[in-house]
Amino acid sequence: MRDLILQALFSGLLIGGVYALVALGLALSFGAMRIINLAHGELVLIAAYAAYVVEARGGVSPYWAIPLALAIVSVVGAVLFLMIDRIREHRELNSLILTYGVGIVLTNAVLLAFASDVRTTTAPALQDAVTLGPVYAMAGEIVAFGLSLVLMVALWWWLKRSWYGRAVRAVSSNRAAATLMGINPLRTELVAFLVAGALASFAGVALYTMSVVQPALGHALTVKAFIVTVLAGVGSIPGVFLAALLLGVTEALTVTLASSALQELAGMVLFLLVLFLLPSGLFGARARRG
Amino acid sequence: MASPRAPLPGLALAAAFLVLAALPLLLGASNYLLGLLISALILAGVALAWALLGNLGGMVSFGHAAFFGVGGYASALLAGKLGLPVLLTVPLGGLLAALASLAMLPALRLSGPYFALAILAYAQIFRILATEASSLTGGAAGLQRYPGLPTVFGLDLASRPGAYALLVALVALGCLAYAAIRRSALGLALRAIAESEDATRVVGVNSVLLKAWMLALSAFITGLFGALNAHIIGFLEPDYAFAGSWSVLPIIASVFGGYRTVLGPVGGAVVIYLFDQVVAKGLIAVGHQILLGLLLVAMVLAAPNGLLGLLERKGGARAGA
Repeated sequence: MRDLILQALFSGLLIGGVYALVALGLALSFGAMRIINLAHGELVLIAAYAAYVVEARGGVSPYWAIPLALAIVSVVGAVLFLMIDRIREHRELNSLILTYGVGIVLTNAVLLAFASDVRTTTAPALQDAVTLGPVYAMAGEIVAFGLSLVLMVALWWWLKRSWYGRAVRAVSSNRAAATLMGINPLRTELVAFLVAGALASFAGVALYTMSVVQPALGHALTVKAFIVTVLAGVGSIPGVFLAALLLGVTEALTVTLASSALQELAGMVLFLLVLFLLPSGLFGARARRG
Repeated sequence: MASPRAPLPGLALAAAFLVLAALPLLLGASNYLLGLLISALILAGVALAWALLGNLGGMVSFGHAAFFGVGGYASALLAGKLGLPVLLTVPLGGLLAALASLAMLPALRLSGPYFALAILAYAQIFRILATEASSLTGGAAGLQRYPGLPTVFGLDLASRPGAYALLVALVALGCLAYAAIRRSALGLALRAIAESEDATRVVGVNSVLLKAWMLALSAFITGLFGALNAHIIGFLEPDYAFAGSWSVLPIIASVFGGYRTVLGPVGGAVVIYLFDQVVAKGLIAVGHQILLGLLLVAMVLAAPNGLLGLLERKGGARAGA
């Protein structure tokens, strides 16, 4: 039993890395544009199926799909951005409905193209078991987790040091003041949106190589990413990372100790508890949602 | 936006429901067609409830399936296990759905996307609970031994024409109630909240209480139609009664017809449902919702006030000229 729990903790941590990537993308576009992109999980989904196509039809390692995924997701993301930008009245409400609709379209497009079958990598190298003391993982899981860490550091560096990263933070904190300082808010929003899409692309390929994907995954990922951002509260990348690991571990423990039917329930209950008991999140400073 | 005292209800409402009532006669009342229209009207009831919450309460819900499922299960269980008359259990189903909305009260202090996602979480939790509490609900295997709609004053509500007549009447009643609330002082306060909640609180309106009432009313209507649907269909399972489509289709229907109008969601539901079942399913067997998704996107971009919103605006422009 102790081994099972240790294994659940470990697997939960590994999938948590990918959740963190998805959640950071959602948080980035929310920070810049003040809208929740309910189609964000579907961007991850597209990338995952790009990896599937490259592996199953192209016959090469799914990691080669990363450029393809980046290209497709960027195009879809840019189109989505332009559509959101066209909304004039009741922006918050209408953008929710719009991105929700785009999510339905993308999920069903994937369903039409690839059927509802569950897909995962078939590369033996990625499915090799790696033993680390009492626990083990697939090679693909380790690579995916490492990739998440690298990307998180890269994102942190980009936001702190690069011109556009600073511009994104400036627009997030005060749009009018940022505009007065000579930042083009629209272009900055687009950049933030595209970076969020890039994170989603990597997350999608990583998910395909470490877990199973199917069309319904997109919506589930959007919800998970939202849960993570609520858990983390507004603010830091490390906060989002820890919250994502917490969600991954909670899900994995629920599956091990109770039943896999309750996996989604665990995340939802965690979400509601934090939402009502700790309104500014586990790591947030002084966020306001009401 | 339509003026508060828009001369909508009265005549337009009567005309719309005469058309709705006559629709089967015009199209030739086959049982198949009546079945489709019955389902469309169930959806219309839920869409009306969704739009009421969205328009008057300013809240987007992605979780109305929760109320629909609770209403259906409550009524089916009360009638099937306790043997209460169906005419009593259907409104009780609505009341229990409203009661379930009390669990969501903490979500009311959340704004926009947080509320939308919190209510989505509730819907998931209810679905999982219905699956897991199998001694009561029959679990994933479903529930089917419970009575259908009864015969009242010689009108057999279990027959398709009877159920259709009942639903037309109830949807009309719902529209009248909605229109009445919108025109009342309550509606004025709610519109003010939608404009600026803080400002409205300052002048002494208990905004959370009002929003709670709207949520409960919306849940009641949704639960009522969920209960009716349960007795008309005669079979319930968690994946059907709490299906995401009971949350999605009302949104699409309301946005298509115009969720800031009274008749928009109802008209939208009839059009959307028939389009989905007859046209979209014929074109694309699996994944036919892609067409609905495209429609939703197109409507938000081109006509965010819906088809009726477009008409009203054109009418208003002419009147002003």
